[in-house]
Amino acid sequence: MYELKDKPDPWPQRADKDVGDILEVALEKIESLLKNDYGISKRAIGLLLLQEDGEIASLVKAKQPDAWVKIEEIVKETRARYSDPLSYIITLRRQEEASRIVKEAVEHLPHAKLSFKENLSRIMINPLTGMPLLLLILYYGLYKFVGTFGAGTVVNFIERDIFEKNINPWMVQLFNLLIPWQLLRDLFVGEYGVITLGIRYAVALILPIVTTFFIAFAIIEDTGYLPRLALLIDRLFKKIGLTGRAVIPMVLGLGCDTMATMVTRTLPTKRERIISTILLALAVPCSAQLGVILSLLEGNNRALWVWGGVVSMVFLLVGFLSSMVLPGDAPSFYMEIPPLRLPKLSNVFIKTYARVKWYFTEVLPMFILASFIIWIGRLSGLFNLMVKGLAYPVRWIGLPDKAAVAFLFGFFRRDYGAAGLYDIKKAGLFNGNQLVVACVTLTLFLPCIAQFLMNVKERGMKVGVGISIFILFFSFSAGFVVNLALNLLGVHL
Amino acid sequence: MVRKTSGKIVIVGSPNVGKSLLFNRLTGSYVTVSNYPGTTVEVSRGVTKIGDTEFEVIDTPGMYSLLPITEEERVARNILLKERPDVIIHIIDAKNLERMLPLTLQLIEAGLPIILVLNIIDEAEKIGMKIDLHDLERALKIPAVATVSTTGRGIDILKGRIEEYVRAKG
Repeated sequence: MYELKDKPDPWPQRADKDVGDILEVALEKIESLLKNDYGISKRAIGLLLLQEDGEIASLVKAKQPDAWVKIEEIVKETRARYSDPLSYIITLRRQEEASRIVKEAVEHLPHAKLSFKENLSRIMINPLTGMPLLLLILYYGLYKFVGTFGAGTVVNFIERDIFEKNINPWMVQLFNLLIPWQLLRDLFVGEYGVITLGIRYAVALILPIVTTFFIAFAIIEDTGYLPRLALLIDRLFKKIGLTGRAVIPMVLGLGCDTMATMVTRTLPTKRERIISTILLALAVPCSAQLGVILSLLEGNNRALWVWGGVVSMVFLLVGFLSSMVLPGDAPSFYMEIPPLRLPKLSNVFIKTYARVKWYFTEVLPMFILASFIIWIGRLSGLFNLMVKGLAYPVRWIGLPDKAAVAFLFGFFRRDYGAAGLYDIKKAGLFNGNQLVVACVTLTLFLPCIAQFLMNVKERGMKVGVGISIFILFFSFSAGFVVNLALNLLGVHL
Repeated sequence: MVRKTSGKIVIVGSPNVGKSLLFNRLTGSYVTVSNYPGTTVEVSRGVTKIGDTEFEVIDTPGMYSLLPITEEERVARNILLKERPDVIIHIIDAKNLERMLPLTLQLIEAGLPIILVLNIIDEAEKIGMKIDLHDLERALKIPAVATVSTTGRGIDILKGRIEEYVRAKG
């Protein structure tokens, strides 16, 4: 029968004189040091120790404190011999062994009929059919639902009918009665007031946009489409030094880049993590910003295409360049694919509610605080000074001086900046070209404060600050190039 | 002949492969569900009789790897380490054999008494996968059984294998 002592060898390369040896030798050394009974084989314990399993480490440390010192040394030495984490290498080898066994024992009959789900799943993954499907999902899910409905219809209603016709005039009157000093009145109901700007941006602009986005996102997430999207994009991403695994943080980034930056932790190599962080900070707009930009460009399809084309190109170009510059091997990728399902209404509702709540409670105090800081800035003259300073690069990329205010807002949050553009467009201060240039520059412009802090936390001070400086220059340069190109080509959008 | 009258079976596998359904098939209705000590993770325990032996059956939270990431995986591993089961059933989705086999390899590597259950075999057959159980058993050196836990197909064979396995171990 089945001899329990006669185990298969999942390490077929043991005899090779390649790197496999280092790991195997280390493993044997650790095995010989382990004396106690741990419930599972010494080999398995050794492998877990090499993969830095904290729980097993403290177990061995407690049971064999003397041996532990030596083991720790072996683990450290072994780790230093590889550029990738040991867990990654061990997992990869095991997968290779599994694939070898499957090749032996499994035969695929060619003419079997696939189930509808399996067919649909393949349509999603195959580039020929998957790409058009992705565009369809983006068009209806993002452009139509979030852009036209959320950022158009709903925002117009809340912004024009509720705030501008009712709340704002009423509040202005109320504060005129309550507060006799113009200076203090400005804090609440002035041009950049807490109520007239901060709360209006948060409730009238950002709230409907992120809500519709999170609804669309929750539906897509619940169907099991995201892992398939990861496989679809894998090939393209490999060219820029990432794998399909990085699709998840990138797609999450369309929701909130700060959250997505935290998720880059799941990427196995440091190189992938840095590239993803740069791309998230630079070329992935978050839902609120995306929504405002979609509504800015609404009704001007050519402008929308130019904006989309430029941002995608920047994404691919910067990704490609950074993968050339940063050292390290191209990663490999495999992932668990859950079954496709019909989304459940209760799931979608709960997810959307939780995310909107989280987002809104973060955004509202930030916007109010920003209004307050701007108020102080205006009192001290610092605000005007900074707007004047920013007016130079803004003029340089062909925008009216007033746009400098939006970029100053952009320092607080991406969506805040985009919302600033919204007001300028409403005042009729942009022509088509300027609108595109402003949107491109602001999309690429500095990440919000929260994301900057996350970059520093996840990637360290040096990389975090470096990324921000790079982006500051890059975004205005890109705006300059787009403006120049449009003018030279005589394009009027 | 000395007969073993009680033993322990632990069911492991990733989520969505029919683990709980197999657990229910084996145990029927005598089930207790409780939180694993010190965690919020629920673990179900039941009893089944195979041949003359009575087994306690433990259904573990989903796990992908012996190297845990989530609390669920940590609990599942702790059960493997501490419960000293007589048989461990690693249940997988047959059509995802290649992706799920790495955990089987880890369990074998750990020296644990494994039976591999290729569940949802009907769906694998439907998409044209023909899995040679003998080849698989030879490569892994453990028993492998094909089942459909929704219909009960293969469950009797699995019980037979468990009986043989326990008897062979003495």
